[in-house]
Amino acid sequence: MSGWQEDGTTVGLTRPGFRDQAGLLAKLMIAPAIIYISAMIGIPFVLAILYSLSDVTTGDPTLRLIGLQNFREILADPVFRISLKNTFFFAFVSVTLVIILSRILATALMADFRGKWLVRFLIMLPWTAPISLGTIGWLWMYDSIFSPIDWILRSIGLLGTPGALLGAQPNLYWLGEPKLAMASVVLVHAWRLLPLATVIQLAGLSSIPRELLEAAEVDGAKGWRRTVEITIPLTLPIISIAFLFGLIFTFTDMTVVYVLTRGGPVHMTQVLSTWTFFKGIEGGDLAQGAAISLFLFPALAGVAALMLRMARRTEVV
Amino acid sequence: MARASKKGMTRREFVKAATVGTVAMGVAPEIFLPRQSAAVSRELKILVWSHFVPRFDKEWFDNFTKNWGKANDVTVKVDHIGLAEIPSRTAAEVSAGQGHDLIEWISPPSQFEPSVLDLSDVVKEAEKRFGKQHPLCRRSSYNPLTKKYYSFCPGWTIDPGNYRKSLWEKAGKPNGPETWEDLITFGGKIKKEQGIQLGIGLSQEIDSNMAARALLWSFDSSIQDAKENVVLNSKNTVAAVEYMARLFKEAMVPEVFAWTAVSNNQALIAGRAAYILNSVSAYRSAQKEVPEIAKDVYFTPALKGPRGANWSCEHVIYNYIIPKYSKNVDMAKKFLLALVENYDQAMYSSELYNSPAFFDAPIPSGDRGYPAVKGAKKLRDLHNSWFDDDPFALPGEAKGKLSVLKDAEKWSTNVGHPGPANPAEGEVFATFILPNMLANAARGMKAEEAVAQAELLVKAIFAKWRKKGLVGGTK
Repeated sequence: MSGWQEDGTTVGLTRPGFRDQAGLLAKLMIAPAIIYISAMIGIPFVLAILYSLSDVTTGDPTLRLIGLQNFREILADPVFRISLKNTFFFAFVSVTLVIILSRILATALMADFRGKWLVRFLIMLPWTAPISLGTIGWLWMYDSIFSPIDWILRSIGLLGTPGALLGAQPNLYWLGEPKLAMASVVLVHAWRLLPLATVIQLAGLSSIPRELLEAAEVDGAKGWRRTVEITIPLTLPIISIAFLFGLIFTFTDMTVVYVLTRGGPVHMTQVLSTWTFFKGIEGGDLAQGAAISLFLFPALAGVAALMLRMARRTEVV
Repeated sequence: MARASKKGMTRREFVKAATVGTVAMGVAPEIFLPRQSAAVSRELKILVWSHFVPRFDKEWFDNFTKNWGKANDVTVKVDHIGLAEIPSRTAAEVSAGQGHDLIEWISPPSQFEPSVLDLSDVVKEAEKRFGKQHPLCRRSSYNPLTKKYYSFCPGWTIDPGNYRKSLWEKAGKPNGPETWEDLITFGGKIKKEQGIQLGIGLSQEIDSNMAARALLWSFDSSIQDAKENVVLNSKNTVAAVEYMARLFKEAMVPEVFAWTAVSNNQALIAGRAAYILNSVSAYRSAQKEVPEIAKDVYFTPALKGPRGANWSCEHVIYNYIIPKYSKNVDMAKKFLLALVENYDQAMYSSELYNSPAFFDAPIPSGDRGYPAVKGAKKLRDLHNSWFDDDPFALPGEAKGKLSVLKDAEKWSTNVGHPGPANPAEGEVFATFILPNMLANAARGMKAEEAVAQAELLVKAIFAKWRKKGLVGGTK
């Protein structure tokens, strides 16, 4: 017990214990998150570095360090070079497409119309479904025999008849033709990233002061000019965040390519994440798999640093 | 000073309670739950793939393991997983040093040799009790360089040709193709005149890998020789690749570049394939889903190449490994022998998908859960009888459709033929080098260039695994 005497001195007042130290409590509270991140990300990351410098296999986890040999070998591998190129291609093309589409959608959703909630709900749906399930759905859409897209094209006479615009063959073979397979992968990435990007862009558009837009309108800035000179510059930081999020998600995703094409035809859709899996887990060469996966790290670290910087700028704005 | 409310808690009390609670939650299981014994446990944990024939797992394997466990006073826990998950799951368990006592693979798990037990004693005992193990099973589980059985193979699956008789009759070849050249001559005719293509995958998946090997072997070519030297870049390989480019042009469509493990079944059932390379499972699916198509499906043995060689790749090779961390080694080995002893039931419940590795194994007496076969004493007798008179044929279906598969063990071989399976062959398989070599040529690349590209990749893989001491040969 403690208390104050009439003369202002304290009686039996104990010294503040560790439970009264706000700093300590804060550290305790943050500790689980740090432990979790260290265990789930830090340890595997350090292990990946160690593996990439060793000759470890799935069947022999003994670590024998061999320097940079794995990196030299994967750089000489033509499939690795295709995968690296495809990884960047899919990420940048998908995300650029997503930014354009999400901008259009967000602008449309800013307007008031009947059934707006339903449209918003439908747009968010792809984000709520697991990626693998959604991609399996797309796999059916792109099926070589039963594709409903092909069925529609055949029904309207664009496919499957002599002289048809898309050819006389009954199917387009979406995942069998390299260019169509690449387009199919881009489309699925765009489909799954669109909801998040739309929500981010909506938040950006909502944050523009209405007075500013009204003032611009009074000054004669309408339509395209208002978009280019006011809304895009003001929402640029938040667009950048949507862009960077999209890049990270696409760079690191393995599911879409694995489910749709397994990297085919002839590695034309192979990306680093799937090649890591085929080489490291299915092929048994864990060390080379780790080396392949680490190639993403500098790019991802750069994107993450940019994201944090953008986020801080957005806060200031 | 912390202020107490009458009903609520002070911050200090909350922190104290939370700390005590957390510690209690952490400690309680140690106090109250029975400690896992570090010594030998009476639980045998088995990881197997989810069989393509669902009744195999439901009606037989799960009951068999349960009953075997009861008879041997051990609890058998069986986990089924999809075949695609087996490599990653095994790698995780080996890395963690704990998991299942027995893990079933459906391809040769040679890369796991350093982390699994040598099962030479099980093979020796099995051969003593059940007769000689089929050579393709031996070559899929034995490393001649280290002289170790890294796995135990109790069975395998035949990979014949499946053709639609009505289509081939119209084309003038009623008994289906006999040679690879027939596929171009008559398959091309069927595509041109009847609009139905062949379905031989040229894609990054398992069936395309097997088809590519069958083609190369039948053209007297292979990735490695019997001593594990790389011999891929040869005139015969170039001829096989040129052949595939012609076959694609004449008798197939680009769907083969997007072929998946289910494409055979889909194409056959949809009536969109005149010929496929697959086990009997596609036909069995057709029997259940589209009987009129199933009745039109017939089989061919491996097709002959230009010099008469005819080889087919085993469709599935069952391989059990016992990881070194297992604490139930004796029980696991005993289980493997029991599995061979009861393989008649495995054959029947898989609807003839499984073939035995030990054809001379005697059939146990008593009710075996299937109609008794008169005069049958060994698995070989059952095999011959069932393939002559398919117990799963549809009413009114022609008899003897499967007869051509009776001697399948003569024209079936292992991944790695004419040498043994090994980790380099495994990685070549897992990274789809052969189907891509053929696909490149089918897409217009010169055959010599496609082969040279493939050879470059293959040689790098062989050199790497040779350094680890798991692959023989010198070049």
